[in-house]
Amino acid sequence: MILIISTCKYPLSDEEFVRPIVEIVRECGFDYHVRRYYERMETDYYSEIIICGTALRDFDYLNYIDNFAQLINYDGGILGICAGYQILAKVYSNTLERIKKIGVYNVKIIKDNPLIEEREIRAYFLHMYALRNVNDNLEPLAVQDDEISIFKVRNKQFYGVSFHPEVLNKEIITKFLYEH
Amino acid sequence: MKVCVLYSGGKDSNLALLKAYEVFDVECLVTISPQSEESCLFHYPNTELVKLQAKSLGLPLIADTCLDDENSSLDALYRVLEKAKELYEIEGVVTGAIRSTYQATRFQRVCDDLKLWCFNPLWLRDEISILNEILDYGFEIIFTRVAGYPLKKSMLGKRLTKDTVQLFSRMREILNPSGEGGEYETLVLDMPLFTKKLKIVEYDIVGEDYDATLIVKRAELVEK
Repeated sequence: MILIISTCKYPLSDEEFVRPIVEIVRECGFDYHVRRYYERMETDYYSEIIICGTALRDFDYLNYIDNFAQLINYDGGILGICAGYQILAKVYSNTLERIKKIGVYNVKIIKDNPLIEEREIRAYFLHMYALRNVNDNLEPLAVQDDEISIFKVRNKQFYGVSFHPEVLNKEIITKFLYEH
Repeated sequence: MKVCVLYSGGKDSNLALLKAYEVFDVECLVTISPQSEESCLFHYPNTELVKLQAKSLGLPLIADTCLDDENSSLDALYRVLEKAKELYEIEGVVTGAIRSTYQATRFQRVCDDLKLWCFNPLWLRDEISILNEILDYGFEIIFTRVAGYPLKKSMLGKRLTKDTVQLFSRMREILNPSGEGGEYETLVLDMPLFTKKLKIVEYDIVGEDYDATLIVKRAELVEK
């Protein structure tokens, strides 16, 4: 069972950022539940968690970071997409920097990982904040320019992806679901 | 939230409007007419028809024109959205973008520059499911342009039906079923929010198979 967490303040944004993830999870044959960022999270029941992205001007989820702090004790896999990347970064005490990126850019893979086989991919970005540096809790896996585009939490199967893999890189999500 | 809808009068912008209408205050429609069908950012609407649709919807329309190149298109988009902000105090824009990262990137950048939220409720939707949803809502839609094999001139003026959707579904290897790449264009004659429906009174069809356009010469609003 997969837990899909919406970080969208407005339900119309769910259509854009959550429904595509739901469709990929469904296509892969997994059962799922969708919960919102401000709801209390029961995570024991789930084998994987996907934290979805949201609209460019939506930062309400950052007011609920405490809600996500318990994820540190979660034993399954987590894929944080865009807003989810930012949430994981903050939960592990990293400082987000203002990096506005809108559009398709090349991403360079700098460390072998189970999510991407290629050395370089094209990916669709839509964010205001990202990481340039990480603390010891996180391990950079891919970069775009001076931004860390994918990181892994050390000693966990938690991944943060600053772009939107559901747009041009669905295989990242399917590999996470099948192979992490 | 007060929003405007980027509106071409075709099926996708009308479905986006319907979805926005359910959750937001839609204050106005904005439409941009490029010089020709060659525009990579906007569909090629008939502004006179969009005026009738806006009247049927009871919504103000902000219309502008542009050349087909990207700079002119973006300038026009800035102009109409700035005007919508000024006149109707909109905070967000709703579009019918489905899969084009080119379109989405530019809409998102312009909205961000103007400090507007950008909503794309059809984003990444399966095109066939969109067509089925539109028909389930009772939209009446005709084809107004075909631009590519295997779409024939004889389709122009014909209704989009469940049979058409099945046909598009079988052809999806060679045809984008949504027509988002300009393979075809549509005109919505009726949808749930219209108070009156659009009736085409006089039209011409120009062009040949795989590249033809229906030009509406006269249309009117009639009781539903």
